[in-house]
Amino acid sequence: MTHCTLLEMQDFTLWAKMKERGALLSFDLEITARCNNACRHCYINLPAADREARSKELTLQEISSIADQAVALGALWVLISGGEPLLREDFEEIYMLLKRKGLLVSVFTNATLIRDEHIVLFKKYPPRDIEITVYGATEETYERVTGCPGSFIAFTNGLNRLLDAGVKVRLKAMAIRSNFHELPAIAAFCCTHTKDYFRFDPQLHLRFDGNKERNQLIKSERLTPEEIVALEKADKDRFASLRKRCNTLINDAVAHRGCDHLFHCGLGNGSFTIGYDGTFRLCSSLWAPETIYDLRRGTLREAWEEFVPQVRDMRSTRPEYLENCCICPIVNLCLWCPAHAYLETGKLDTPIEYFCQVARARAAAIQEATPSSPVLGNAQHSA
Amino acid sequence: MDITLDQICVTSEDVVARVIEDELIIVPLASGIGDMDDELYTMNETGRAIWSRLDGEKTLQSIADDLAEEFSAAPEVIEKDLLGLITELVRRKMVIVHKENAPQ
Repeated sequence: MTHCTLLEMQDFTLWAKMKERGALLSFDLEITARCNNACRHCYINLPAADREARSKELTLQEISSIADQAVALGALWVLISGGEPLLREDFEEIYMLLKRKGLLVSVFTNATLIRDEHIVLFKKYPPRDIEITVYGATEETYERVTGCPGSFIAFTNGLNRLLDAGVKVRLKAMAIRSNFHELPAIAAFCCTHTKDYFRFDPQLHLRFDGNKERNQLIKSERLTPEEIVALEKADKDRFASLRKRCNTLINDAVAHRGCDHLFHCGLGNGSFTIGYDGTFRLCSSLWAPETIYDLRRGTLREAWEEFVPQVRDMRSTRPEYLENCCICPIVNLCLWCPAHAYLETGKLDTPIEYFCQVARARAAAIQEATPSSPVLGNAQHSA
Repeated sequence: MDITLDQICVTSEDVVARVIEDELIIVPLASGIGDMDDELYTMNETGRAIWSRLDGEKTLQSIADDLAEEFSAAPEVIEKDLLGLITELVRRKMVIVHKENAPQ
């Protein structure tokens, strides 16, 4: 008789059970909005010395309480992110308290602040993984993006120390104007340092704090739709996946296509985000005040069980939305969603022309490669 | 290590046991627990009954006696299963044998 069974995560039938009933699986925990870098494209990187931001950060005790509540709701994964999480002096305590509650912990970091104590910690108590963004393959490009002299050498030192210690590291890149010329070299850098498939993200969204100057900078870093599509087409695996999944990127079970609901994605289904100041958001990009719940005034269970359904049920009466994005047959190829619309315009239900252009360029590329695609047949009418 | 029924065992502090969707899930905390990355463990009903009794006070014999009564099973069958599971869990460092009861 077998009493104890070893499980590999992807084979775990428990996930299917939990997904089926929309149970909580994971959450993101932004432990700070501050960062030691000042990346041009970043939506959440207040200065490291920002006192106001620091004063609003969740305390260790508050994080412990929220984690207890999340564990009670069944959460198994947590992603520690920021800002730069290693800026918090109590990072190790936060990390261990989450581990000791039985959570599988991942960390997003720029790796520039990795110290001896982090290596000791991660070796003894391994994270599920550490994800690091590679902003450039050379000092010049990397530091043009980060705006921080010395950051490239700090990054390579931190990365090498993690890899030498055998910590599971995953690398990824943002494809932006400032590093566009160097993307092949960034891909090569990533592929020589880890065995992962190289992942890049060309879709920049605007800042959580609405900072106009920084938003202009982010817009200036956006690639053109043609450049994005050219990058995606050049990556054969990625493009094949896009072609294969372009009809299924949005889950039909929750989409309610053609109705007046605002949210047609998996928002608040199995996961949520905790902001540095104790705010509960249904996804990391959703910052509209009417969609945010303050955990300093209520419980996580109230947020999850009562507030999430309210947000998911939000409707639109704006013809611009109802006659465009809401029924768009290529919305699956689009960065558009109410969260990003809010960041761009202050409204949850306004189309964004740049996103439309990217979606149309992708649709045209897929159409060219797959003339029989039914979705893209419809897209011709939409565009 | 040979595990015997006169020993006392306790669950390791380097794992966390959680009940999710009515399943007992064992989450390794530290490196060296188990054999591979990204692993979790779950246990069946008997395994769960054994795990919950590993309190660092009861001998394995006492646990086997409890289980034979609870599951109305032959003691020799329970004892064999218990020793098999504990041996496996000790090998994976998920359970430790109390020092005073450990074989010299």
